[in-house]
Amino acid sequence: MIVNKIGVIGCSGEECLGGTISRLVVRKMLEELRPGMTTSLCLPLFIAGDGGEREFAEKYPTISIDGCSKCCAKRAIEKYSNAVAGSIDISEIIGEDKALEKPLSTRNLTAEHLEFVKQTAEKTCEIYDGISS
Amino acid sequence: MSETICVLPCNGLDKCAGDLSRRAALQLTQSEDVELICPVLLNQNKSRYEKALEAGDLTVIDGCNTRCASKLAGDLGLAIKDKVNVSEVAKALDIKLGVEIREDQETQAVVQAVLEKINSSVIDRAESEFVEPESIDYNTFSHGKFIFKVPTANYFFNENDCWVTVSGKLARIGVSDYVQQNLSDILYVDPPEIGDEFEQFDDLGSIESSKAVFEIISPVSGTVVAVNTGLNDAPELVNESPYEKGWLVEVRLSDFEEDQDLLHDCPAYFEFLQRKVAEVDV
Repeated sequence: MIVNKIGVIGCSGEECLGGTISRLVVRKMLEELRPGMTTSLCLPLFIAGDGGEREFAEKYPTISIDGCSKCCAKRAIEKYSNAVAGSIDISEIIGEDKALEKPLSTRNLTAEHLEFVKQTAEKTCEIYDGISS
Repeated sequence: MSETICVLPCNGLDKCAGDLSRRAALQLTQSEDVELICPVLLNQNKSRYEKALEAGDLTVIDGCNTRCASKLAGDLGLAIKDKVNVSEVAKALDIKLGVEIREDQETQAVVQAVLEKINSSVIDRAESEFVEPESIDYNTFSHGKFIFKVPTANYFFNENDCWVTVSGKLARIGVSDYVQQNLSDILYVDPPEIGDEFEQFDDLGSIESSKAVFEIISPVSGTVVAVNTGLNDAPELVNESPYEKGWLVEVRLSDFEEDQDLLHDCPAYFEFLQRKVAEVDV
């Protein structure tokens, strides 16, 4: 497996706040924390089977970021492509009750939500650095 | 038509258009009548949304021309009632979305246009489908061995004992319980042609029984959009269910407000019919 790029895949879930956070963490990784080496894979596109997302996950390591314990992202990657190199369940970081709150528009995020994004992103970076080193 | 909407956005993360599909969907869910369907969870566990999809019409919001949400719905055999493509809406507004996810006036304008398009489709559908009431209550009175029933509300009658009930710009027309009891066993219904235009009190076909032929006198003006084809094989439905399954003609109304001036509402027709039955030998 090639390790000059790492795919980060959020569940993008609409069932809960954890899904909203997963979207934001992916953007943060891509734009702020690990730009350049990070590739975001769009999970709905991955599922649809277009756009080369599945092929990417065959060749490169991926990290799934799931909003809740349903782990839709991890399951979809492993079903359609390859085993993930690392995975995160946001409900384990911020607590299940919080993770299962209603999804939010980004304009309605509070400081608490942004802290959840930061904590999850830090955990993602740990896994990321473990894979890339 | 369903009263609820299930909205399935593509929820894409790698383009601005996908993000706007999500924003539009989240705004729609401010209404209690809208159920948000997560595309990823739908793919993993369709049964999670089965009840919602049975109860509501499915609206799909695709971000781009890859149409992931439409494909997902198609792969799962879901009937799509309405589709909106965010990129096409943006193009019509001459707004370039690109890859970067942003919240500015342009993206808000696109979200607003997507919402307006969906709302307008919902209204169009409401106006193009006759919505049957869930249940109808009746008042009854007896005369000799006969019992006559008249709905308590939402029906209007002319003095020829033909009724109309309205749903948006559409209406259904039929004959009253009094007519079907007078005619006895109905053998044949001769409906008008779809597309026929007619004025209030024009002839709208006829009903034939073993005893007589009854001319249907329209209580309203309009255009015929459908006839009850179920009566071809089962004209007896007019006897069994004169106000519901035995409806005759569906019409697009021309001017119901004006037509209504010459019609009886349910309580008035109930009194009218009581007088009529008392005077006429049934």
